[in-house]
Amino acid sequence: MKIKFKAIASLAIVAASTLILGSCSSSADSSGFEYMPDMYRSPAIEPYVDYGEIRGRENNALKMKISALVPPSYTIPYYGTDSATVRLMLPYNRKANEMFRLTHGVYDAELSVSDEYLLAAGDVNPLKLTAENTEEMFKKGKALYTSNCAHCHGEKGDGNGPMVASGAFAGVPNYSNLTITEGQMFYSIYYGKGAMGNHSSFLNKKEIWTLVHFVKKFQNPSYPAVSSAPVKDSVATAAPAIKPL
Amino acid sequence: MKISNNQMFRNFRKGFFGIVSAMLFAGSFNANAQGEALFKAKCATCHQPHKDGTGPKLFQVRAKWEAGGAKEGSIYQWVNNWQTAVANDPYAKEVSATKPSAMSAFPDLKKEEIDAILTWVDEQPDPATMVAAAPGAEGSKADGGTVEEDSNSWVWVLLGIIFITIIMAVGGVRRQLKQVTAEESGETVKEGLTYTDELRTWAWKNRKWVMLMCLASFISLLVTGIISLSTIGVVENYQPSQPIAFPHAIHTGVNGIDCKYCHNSVTKSKSAGIPSVNVCMNCHKQINGRTPAQQEQIAKIYDAAGWDAVGMKYTGKTKEIVWNKVHALPDHVYFNHAQHVVVGQVDCKQCHGDMTKMTATAKVQPVSELNKIEGNIVLKKPTLTMGWCIECHAEKEISKGPIDTKGDGYYNEIHKRLLKHGKSLYGKYLDDGKVTVKELGGWECAKCHY
Repeated sequence: MKIKFKAIASLAIVAASTLILGSCSSSADSSGFEYMPDMYRSPAIEPYVDYGEIRGRENNALKMKISALVPPSYTIPYYGTDSATVRLMLPYNRKANEMFRLTHGVYDAELSVSDEYLLAAGDVNPLKLTAENTEEMFKKGKALYTSNCAHCHGEKGDGNGPMVASGAFAGVPNYSNLTITEGQMFYSIYYGKGAMGNHSSFLNKKEIWTLVHFVKKFQNPSYPAVSSAPVKDSVATAAPAIKPL
Repeated sequence: MKISNNQMFRNFRKGFFGIVSAMLFAGSFNANAQGEALFKAKCATCHQPHKDGTGPKLFQVRAKWEAGGAKEGSIYQWVNNWQTAVANDPYAKEVSATKPSAMSAFPDLKKEEIDAILTWVDEQPDPATMVAAAPGAEGSKADGGTVEEDSNSWVWVLLGIIFITIIMAVGGVRRQLKQVTAEESGETVKEGLTYTDELRTWAWKNRKWVMLMCLASFISLLVTGIISLSTIGVVENYQPSQPIAFPHAIHTGVNGIDCKYCHNSVTKSKSAGIPSVNVCMNCHKQINGRTPAQQEQIAKIYDAAGWDAVGMKYTGKTKEIVWNKVHALPDHVYFNHAQHVVVGQVDCKQCHGDMTKMTATAKVQPVSELNKIEGNIVLKKPTLTMGWCIECHAEKEISKGPIDTKGDGYYNEIHKRLLKHGKSLYGKYLDDGKVTVKELGGWECAKCHY
């Protein structure tokens, strides 16, 4: 009897100590043990790495302070040496209205006193639709639209996407009710408009102009066929408008 | 049947009233439908009945203007062109100062149409009172989980200490009792017998059992040790706590937002990207949460973005949200999201699991969970280990998939050359009739380690 009790007691002790040892590394907040910790932290700058501790050296000024970095003002991405691409990718020449600092949180960009949304009405799409690229353009536009716009504006552009259907978001217009020009579409996607936010931080100019082509198809199903000729003409005249920089 | 004059008149009167009331009813119904249609077409992009957005809420706005001392009819002037109203009415001027953005002019809306819109708005029930009892406090649930885990290990340590103390105490009492009984029965008492001495005698007496126990504990320690060795460098189930209890299930599940909207650098860069606060604000400027738990979490976004939720404007005072990286690879591994998502067309769920069902913050999904998802390649090695990577590279077939021989990309070219030389040079690769990532060099060390 006594022996049995002892046996049970020692078994219990073994079980308890295993559990205690085991619980040291089972916390969801711990990523577990590593073979060679110095090979996991990068001394070179990598995204989303905490530089509070590099190779054992601690820097409390940086610890848990920075998540990601914003590029310095006035820096622009490099888009190679093809002049047409470079011109397309030059920073947008229309400035947001001063009010956008308050309404859309446009903190870094230069703002203007006048309403450049009205001026943007005259801008034309620099991406010309030709017989060869039309299909490709709409394919790309559809992919961009599905991941960036459809959750609010809806698969069919009727302003009834899953965000609106779930009751989370309200006030998304139906594209067919909109009477804005393609230049104003670009301006609205770039800086935001009304309830819609600023999309310039993650869509570049080429992508936005591709989206404009795709959205225009919602307004007019026969879009490229009808307006391909005038677009070509106006691009030639509008080219200097993109030049000023 | 003959009807008297009186009766006929009564019948006529009845019919007349019926027609008139029907007309009235239809009229009011039409006004409602018209109001709704006009509201949705003209106002809804900026105004909501019960919630301030780009423009203020419109519920009982006529009564509000009247109570504020607006001139008769100036609200209609405002809708047609707010600047005329501001020029004519001091109250309208006051209103124009409350919002930074200017309202568009609607010169073609007639007074009746504006009334129809505002009547429809006044009839709308307030959704806030309807969802008061809405379920969901996912945020607090996630917090509770981590707290519980912490307290759990403490309980074990405490239990262990109590257990050991009890054993010692009982042992001591037993020893003293034994001495007393030995003295009473007149036996010789071994004075100065320490606890260790006694334990040693006891162990020698029961050496069979002691040896068995020693063996058992040795084996169990060995097994635990080997198991814990195999978890070194394995990060499955790693779920670091985050500054904001972000539920993927609501965002991508209920609201159908594509992964690539928030993680928007996934197609362009090595890193998929944690969305910057302005991306959150694209929706959360309007959505401030339905339950107190949600509101508390969303208030942290407002803090970071410098959004003043009361004044409905940005203040410019931003803060950093320091997210904890979940999927971290060692520095000596090169992994590129764009390469996998754009060129390889790998679906996010192959590696990250079904985020539409993830109610807590993100974690490294164990491979057993990933294998349950339809369309995923079934793998055996733990998630984010090298075995797992190369297992997939050996399985992933590209001959019918994204990297065909038609394109002019880098991998298309390799694919073309592989097929051009045919059986003579690459026979062993082509025997099974399919080309995998491995056969295009996906198992070359220097592809990922350089």
